[in-house]
Amino acid sequence: MAVTRERLTRALAPKVVAVIGDKKASGYNWLRSMKEFDGPVYSVQVDESEIPGIEELGIPNYKSLTDIPDQVDFAVCAVPRQVAPFIVQGCVEANVGGVTLFTSGFAETGEEIGVELQNKIFEIADPSGLALIGPNCMGLHVPGLGVRFNRDQPAGVQGNIGFVSQSGTHGMNFSLTGAAHGLYCSTLVSFGNGIILEAADYLEYLADDPQTEVIGMYIEGARDGQRLFRTLREVAAKKPVVIWKGGQTEGGGRAIRSHTASLASDQAIWEAMIRQVGAVAVHNLDEMIDVVKATLLTKRTQGNRLGLIAMTGGQSVVLTDAFEKAGWKVPTLSEESYAQLSEFFNIIGGSYRNPLDAAGTIGQDPKHLDTIFDILNADENIDAVGMELSATFMARRWQDKPEEFDRLIGSLKKFMAESDKPFLAALHPSHVEEAALTARMRLQEEGIATFPSFERAANALRKASGLAAV
Amino acid sequence: MTADVIAAARAEQRTLLSEVEAKGLLAEAGVSVTETRLAASADEAASHAGELGYPVALKVVSDAITHKTDVGGVELGIADESGLRAAWDAIHERVSAAAPNADLQGLSVQPMAEPGAEVILGVTQDQQFGPVLMFGLGGVFVEVLKDVAFRIVPLEPRDASEMIREIQGFPILEGVRGQPAANLEAIESMLMQLSEFAEANPEVAELDLNPVFARPDGAVAVDARILLTSSD
Repeated sequence: MAVTRERLTRALAPKVVAVIGDKKASGYNWLRSMKEFDGPVYSVQVDESEIPGIEELGIPNYKSLTDIPDQVDFAVCAVPRQVAPFIVQGCVEANVGGVTLFTSGFAETGEEIGVELQNKIFEIADPSGLALIGPNCMGLHVPGLGVRFNRDQPAGVQGNIGFVSQSGTHGMNFSLTGAAHGLYCSTLVSFGNGIILEAADYLEYLADDPQTEVIGMYIEGARDGQRLFRTLREVAAKKPVVIWKGGQTEGGGRAIRSHTASLASDQAIWEAMIRQVGAVAVHNLDEMIDVVKATLLTKRTQGNRLGLIAMTGGQSVVLTDAFEKAGWKVPTLSEESYAQLSEFFNIIGGSYRNPLDAAGTIGQDPKHLDTIFDILNADENIDAVGMELSATFMARRWQDKPEEFDRLIGSLKKFMAESDKPFLAALHPSHVEEAALTARMRLQEEGIATFPSFERAANALRKASGLAAV
Repeated sequence: MTADVIAAARAEQRTLLSEVEAKGLLAEAGVSVTETRLAASADEAASHAGELGYPVALKVVSDAITHKTDVGGVELGIADESGLRAAWDAIHERVSAAAPNADLQGLSVQPMAEPGAEVILGVTQDQQFGPVLMFGLGGVFVEVLKDVAFRIVPLEPRDASEMIREIQGFPILEGVRGQPAANLEAIESMLMQLSEFAEANPEVAELDLNPVFARPDGAVAVDARILLTSSD
């Protein structure tokens, strides 16, 4: 029986949560992670030695799911694998919306017992319509509702990124590292073996979820590749989708007698599939974060001509290299722009050809930055604007004189508000990593797309804009 | 006919279709191929060639021979009947020396196609996504540079258009150094036909059209190879 949307929504946006089998040895990770949950949390534990510790956390414990005097929407199950089928049966009887099976040791082990237990769970869950997540997964993270599987994950913040991950680690890392970049999830699901619900089910949910503006996915393989392909094609037509494909499968054992078959590596097919559905391929966590960030925080452009503002001559050269290598053009400006720039631009130790080496000019009078932005906004040769924010020279100064940083942020936001052209900033951590990080967090809070290197900035804006690589 | 050809191959426990069979199936699916007939004797070959029109090509047909050129099993550009009879004997001599145990069904006769840019179109089965289409430039581009593009079946017309333009060597198809531009629409429609063919025939494990001559006036497959799945 298919899991209905209503049942899936109960599981993924729960009002009542239960944790089954949490224990001291794991530091009560699951119960503690639910501490910020926006609703009642119950524990189910039969081991008498564990119960006092659970009650000390202030969480009511029951011996069975059916004893809980409330309708549970979402349950986390962290019991040994032999017990898991009984818990799933209990979830069916208690009409739980959905359950995450953190429990592992199933088909992924290749052992007969693991495969048998997984089949047993499938046979119990499938006819019932229970929204079963996993097994062998970390499950659900919804920061807006305070649903977490790790205590460092954010809570009480409504995010806008849907994330679907076959791996618990990569899902968790996206939520943690993403938060350090000001990126928050609407709903994140780590689905592990995906025996009932698979990636396509979560993608369909996120495509319809009004909180979700962009979807990220980490995937290693698909049980039903055609369904995933067709679903992605529909979903990517509604919302931007960024896909990180991990791992390679063995193509061995096939009778290969044609050119076509010998060239069709797993990676080549996945990359083609991602392109075909209109999603963006990324290859690691950093790139996932960068492309999601650029997708959310920068405007879209059809063009590839960039105006660049740098703080020194040397940086203006390598900033240009980084963007041109990524497929951007850094063209000359219009005659009108040059005429205007020549009126105030300080060319001693500076230059305004494009890139604009502008530290001296802005240092002379911060209003000059607004004028430069106005000129680039009006210039028809320019489709997008990038700027180097120098931590080397400025991060400490911004700490000492926060009003200068405020003023800079004001200029950037003014340009972003007035112009249809995408804007992004690069802030190398430099030798003052902590000060740079503080500055980056502030820029992120202000909604300014900031990247830790020129190359990452150039690549992120290219991929978010759908431009081809050079 | 498709079902008959596949059933016949299954009955003989063959997975590799002959060029004649493969082209027959593809022609039925609307794919432009050079018409290719099987001849069991030199007289039969001469009669086919007379109908198809010279110049023609002769190629060995045998289940035991996968790579026809490796055993000297191909003669191209045969101008007339005396040349055809000489080529018939020459191929038999070379093949019996190179592959003495190979059982020959005969030789295939086909008209020489007017050359164009050589491209390769193919189908393979992916374990996760099912049939997958490949496109690339032929020869060194596919063999050494692996400059090819893939798409999952079924294709939309936009996919066919994009995969042709995705390869590095695409400018060659637009015409360089005085070479005429290839008819891209003809390649696109051939890709769409192959997508439908692959979707309708899941027992096709692998398919190569190599080469396809892409000319200003159209595209035609001059060689075709189809491998069926090993079990049904």
